[in-house]
Amino acid sequence: MRLKVKLALFNLLSKLAVAALLLLFMPFITERLNLRQIDNELIEKREEIISMISRIGIEPFLEPETENSFGSYNILKEEFISLESASPDVDINQISVVSRLIDDEIIDYRVLSYSLTIDDKNYILEVGKSLARVHQTRRNIINVVILFLLFIIIITFFTDFQYTRLTLKPLDRIIRKLDNISSPDTFDRSRINTSTFDFRELDAALTGLMGRIKNLFEKEREITYNISHELMTPLSVLRSRLENMLLTGKNDPETETGIAESLKTLQRLQSLVNSLLLIARIESSQYLKEDSFKINQVLDEIVEETGPVAEDKKIEIEKKYFFDKIVNKVNRSLIFAMLYNVINNSVKNTGAGGKIKIETDVDNQKRLLVTITDNGKGMTGDQIRNLFMRFRNRTLNSGDGTGIGMAITKTIADFHDIQIRVESEPGRGTKFIFIFP
Amino acid sequence: MNVLIVEDEKNLAGEISSFLSRENFLVEVTHTGREASEKIAVNLYDFVLLDLGLPDYNGLDLIKEAKKLNSGASFIIITARGAVEDKVKGLDLGADDYLAKPFALVELLSRINAVARRKFKVPDDDLELGEFIIKISSRRLLCKGNEVDLTKKEFDLLLYLVLNHGKVLTRQQLYEHIWGNILDDQYDSNFIDVHIKNLRKKLNAHAPSPWLETVRGVGYRVTTGADN
Repeated sequence: MRLKVKLALFNLLSKLAVAALLLLFMPFITERLNLRQIDNELIEKREEIISMISRIGIEPFLEPETENSFGSYNILKEEFISLESASPDVDINQISVVSRLIDDEIIDYRVLSYSLTIDDKNYILEVGKSLARVHQTRRNIINVVILFLLFIIIITFFTDFQYTRLTLKPLDRIIRKLDNISSPDTFDRSRINTSTFDFRELDAALTGLMGRIKNLFEKEREITYNISHELMTPLSVLRSRLENMLLTGKNDPETETGIAESLKTLQRLQSLVNSLLLIARIESSQYLKEDSFKINQVLDEIVEETGPVAEDKKIEIEKKYFFDKIVNKVNRSLIFAMLYNVINNSVKNTGAGGKIKIETDVDNQKRLLVTITDNGKGMTGDQIRNLFMRFRNRTLNSGDGTGIGMAITKTIADFHDIQIRVESEPGRGTKFIFIFP
Repeated sequence: MNVLIVEDEKNLAGEISSFLSRENFLVEVTHTGREASEKIAVNLYDFVLLDLGLPDYNGLDLIKEAKKLNSGASFIIITARGAVEDKVKGLDLGADDYLAKPFALVELLSRINAVARRKFKVPDDDLELGEFIIKISSRRLLCKGNEVDLTKKEFDLLLYLVLNHGKVLTRQQLYEHIWGNILDDQYDSNFIDVHIKNLRKKLNAHAPSPWLETVRGVGYRVTTGADN
């Protein structure tokens, strides 16, 4: 899961949790607040009534029929006041919730009961307020709050998501920078523009690391190059000496074969050293990329070169050019070598009567594709993985090979930003696809 | 012909020297650039084999000096492989050819001969081999007046063997000469065998070719009447 999605999800969940908690305690809190409000109102009313009684006397409140009690409900039964005479020993001052049956309707009231003594007579004053409206109001408030919270959560979810997306953008760019490189040489050393300190640190650390890796690579290349270079002179001495011995023609046949065998061994050593040198030179960009040529022409040349051997093995080479392209800014010799290696390997690894197909085509991104398919030995997954590793590839060798030809192919492809895709199945054959940039 | 070998690796200089002496060249060897410079100033050489990697001298300066002196010597540069800039610079300064180490001695000889033919304007004679005639200038092979149709590679192979007649050439030497490109290290001995096989087939269709011999375990050789 992407980091921004994770953060957004966490944000959303934590907000939902807060909202849920709020909604859980809301009824309780509003209830308390409402009751306190009502209680205050009731106390105010009581004081008002008491001051009225002291002003006009108690008589107007006592109903004539009963003489000793008074009750008044307002028309909506929301509030009532009652005054009743009580026994002298009653002394109360309390507020409680009481259910009253009024006109066949049970209504919850908050009732303040207060005992007061007027002219030596004890009365109980009750001031009540219906809770029905309070409950209604509470429900309304909760509904509004739920809507409001939902609205806030949705809005903040999107703004949070956008914000984390923007904040994390430099991270995406850093990842892309790392994705795009085939070797530390191609690492984009330009700084990522961000105000986030951590990303700046990460970027700087990666750039530093790449620099160090690049230096190590360069050192390795230099060593390979120098060793290879230095080996040339002793190789040259040995080769000349052995050739001289062979050329004098004064050897018995046994010695002659021995010398020839030594020359063959020496040739392998020379191949190896030269191949390493070639790779080191390509990797340190000592080759110019200034040629432009038609790809099919190069393929024709390779087919011509490998033709006699293929013919000798009764292998059919089929060319299918669906597309031709002039490739620019490449090194012709290297491209030739890259494709030649693969086609030549196909010839080596395909049995008598086999078939090799060479195609040029274009993909939907207008990239040139060169596909080489054979129905030869094929490779296992492990063999494909080791295919381009120097010296690891022992599958394609037949005698003369150094196990480095495919590494050269890969190096040349990387040098030109050409992708190679390999599909193979043991016993069924191998398919190489070169995707030109 | 006089050849001066300028090579600081004494063993290599010795091998080249003994090879060229056997090929009837008059050979002098020097291991330092300073001495080479003196020798070029005093003596007349037809060829200078020059290793550019001299410890005491920039090899390219020797070419400049020689040109200034109008010495008339042809330069063949020898360097360890990979030094493309040296090759280009050397050829710019008027060197006649370039060989990368390690090279085949027969290849060196064939380069010297090629330069010599150009230099002394030797006409390319027709070569006779049994009933075959090689017309070098027009790159054709005739047998009893009939054209033998060879591919470019087959012709090159035949010509190289014929020009080095009497010598056994290994498959590597043949491969390097004919396919001398960036990939000459991806060499496959089978290539030479297939081409020789095809070549023989074409030759034998016209006339027997016993002069093209396979030397078991070593390589191929063309023997002409002059070799016996």
